[in-house]
Amino acid sequence: MLPSAAICEGFGTVMNNRLGQMTLFQDTGGDPRGAASQFADVLTVYGAIGDAACGNPPGLALRKASTAVSLARVAECEPHECDAMYFAGLLHAVGAVGNPAYRKDERLSERLARMESWDTPSMGAQICEHIPALPAQTADIVRWQAECWDGTGYPDQLRWHGIPRPAMLLALADTVVRAADPEEALTAVAMQSGRAFSPDMTRTFTMWFHVSGGEAETAEPPLEALRDVSAASTLALMDAIADRIDKHNGDEGRWRRVERLATASAALLNVDATENERLALAVRLYGAGEIAKSQQSEASFDPLARLGIDDRAAHAVLAAKLVEENPTLGRAAAVLRARSEWYDGTGKPDGLFHRAIPAAAGLLAAAIAYDALGHKDRIDTAAGTQFDPQTVRAVLEAARTRA
Amino acid sequence: MIELQERTRRISPSRLHEILLRHNCASLVDPFMGLPTHLNYLKRHGIACHGGDLLEWFVRVGEGIVVNDLTILRDSEVAEIVEMLPGRIYSLDMFKAWEGVFFSEEQCVYLGVWHDNVRNLRSDGQTGLAILGLWRAFCYWLQKTQNADDMQDVPPSELAWSYIRQTEQWVIANMRRNTVRQTDVLTTVAAQKADALFLCPPARNSFRSADARIWMWEAWWQGNPYFTIEHAYRDSLFGARAADPPSYARAFASVLEHAEAYPVLVVQTTEQRLGDVESLVRNARRKVEILAPHSYEMYLVATN
Repeated sequence: MLPSAAICEGFGTVMNNRLGQMTLFQDTGGDPRGAASQFADVLTVYGAIGDAACGNPPGLALRKASTAVSLARVAECEPHECDAMYFAGLLHAVGAVGNPAYRKDERLSERLARMESWDTPSMGAQICEHIPALPAQTADIVRWQAECWDGTGYPDQLRWHGIPRPAMLLALADTVVRAADPEEALTAVAMQSGRAFSPDMTRTFTMWFHVSGGEAETAEPPLEALRDVSAASTLALMDAIADRIDKHNGDEGRWRRVERLATASAALLNVDATENERLALAVRLYGAGEIAKSQQSEASFDPLARLGIDDRAAHAVLAAKLVEENPTLGRAAAVLRARSEWYDGTGKPDGLFHRAIPAAAGLLAAAIAYDALGHKDRIDTAAGTQFDPQTVRAVLEAARTRA
Repeated sequence: MIELQERTRRISPSRLHEILLRHNCASLVDPFMGLPTHLNYLKRHGIACHGGDLLEWFVRVGEGIVVNDLTILRDSEVAEIVEMLPGRIYSLDMFKAWEGVFFSEEQCVYLGVWHDNVRNLRSDGQTGLAILGLWRAFCYWLQKTQNADDMQDVPPSELAWSYIRQTEQWVIANMRRNTVRQTDVLTTVAAQKADALFLCPPARNSFRSADARIWMWEAWWQGNPYFTIEHAYRDSLFGARAADPPSYARAFASVLEHAEAYPVLVVQTTEQRLGDVESLVRNARRKVEILAPHSYEMYLVATN
């Protein structure tokens, strides 16, 4: 049992942690490019989560963004349009996060699921409209990226010149990144001339193909195009992403419950600031690992049983992969990956043992399990095997004090 | 060579849906519906839709994708539309007047065959779907007259087949009664009660410069290549009677007057016409909110 003074002190720290989470994203000393860079990193991860939600291959959003910018330059788009196209490419699939076609708690017929999936662009546009830092045109490019010149696209069935040029260029970029090789893309675009793409756009594409060889160089995010970003807006974006992930996974408010418990427990254990930051990031992102429809929901298994361990490990690995190369969020990768490890070394994916498991990962795992359990105190039975006994005591103590 | 217009009015049904949701509207009347793909979108999202237009083919398409809840075209039925059927007598020269001007001899023959086959369909829903699919094939041909080298040569029946098959995917039920009617604006406005009235009125004298892809398809449906929509609009509220600015404004005001029973009024306009339209709407309603995502896509949302 932890002394009550420690608990009170712990909760004081919790409050400070919550209020002080602005430091999650480094103070850039007034350098707007630094803040914009962190914001762009978070957007990149959001794009990757969108791709994971609708089953796109990893990295598709980044390649699409680069290809879109490359095409836009050949099409002589205005610089502000190129900037908007980069972010529209990056966020092209965020509408899939929370879309009933891909959501965990929806069981739709194939036909209905297809119809719901048509709303991915418009849902993505709504998400972009709620990110004020994005260039103004981004939302509309996302909204109309799947429209076809002949009016057979979705969601709005716009036709002819009603479709903005940047949206059609993004559709071309989509064809490029989904093709097995550049020649396949060229053939696909030629076949769709006058149908999915306007003849003008087809000519633009052919020109781009000959200029670039059908491959685009990786584009840097146009940081100067992001408006009024700060550590606070980056944190707000992270929270919005986490809320959306929970909605998608059919458990709204889960990360907030887990976060309250995990940070309170971390305070009781006097976890250091660096580990606290990693925990705060991981708690917002761990749900991304189970976002793909193919992934079994964690709610399907008893969180203390070995039965679901492979699925939990798969979720942990997927979530870690989404962020591991990200300069701003990559520090949470190890925590995300290790959250399905067992204290006794029999966990997965790496079989880490005792202190080799990051403290934040142990706290995150115990808080998730506690949140998922019907009879909460049952977590005690996993002390010493699945969880560090000290962590379990802190989680129970923190939960009891909250109650 | 035929001139295909660059700018068409843009109705974004997803944006319109967001506006309707914000005002808790579950039903909508659109008396200037045009090609009702936007009503199909709203129907798919549970909104009860009622549309009206003067052109018959728009209304027929509405029967296919707005009114129709479950009828689709099976492969065998599509096959009976896109090709000449043995034993049936066709008027193969029905569209000969367009030959060499807009279309090849083969295309004109197919237009005649399709016209007869679609007229012989028994279901309104199927007829609407077929008209929409064939119209897209027709637009493809017109576009190809301008971009012959940029577009693939697709055999007519194959092109028509692919487009008709695509229309099937838009058929959906929303468990509400949806209607379309071929009539003038005031009749549509008076015929239905709904939470919202959506107005996207034609610009003054716009029927004189109507898109060829619209009026020619009405001519196709009527089986008369010399048909003009000026004929259809002659006695309508926004037709010849609204040829000068004051009478156009009077016509607009009379629609707003007849729309008093609708709790929410959504008027779509452009930046160019915003000044005129806004003053008319403000005369009719107390609260007017302007949403302006683009200079050619603006919405005035008016409530009492």
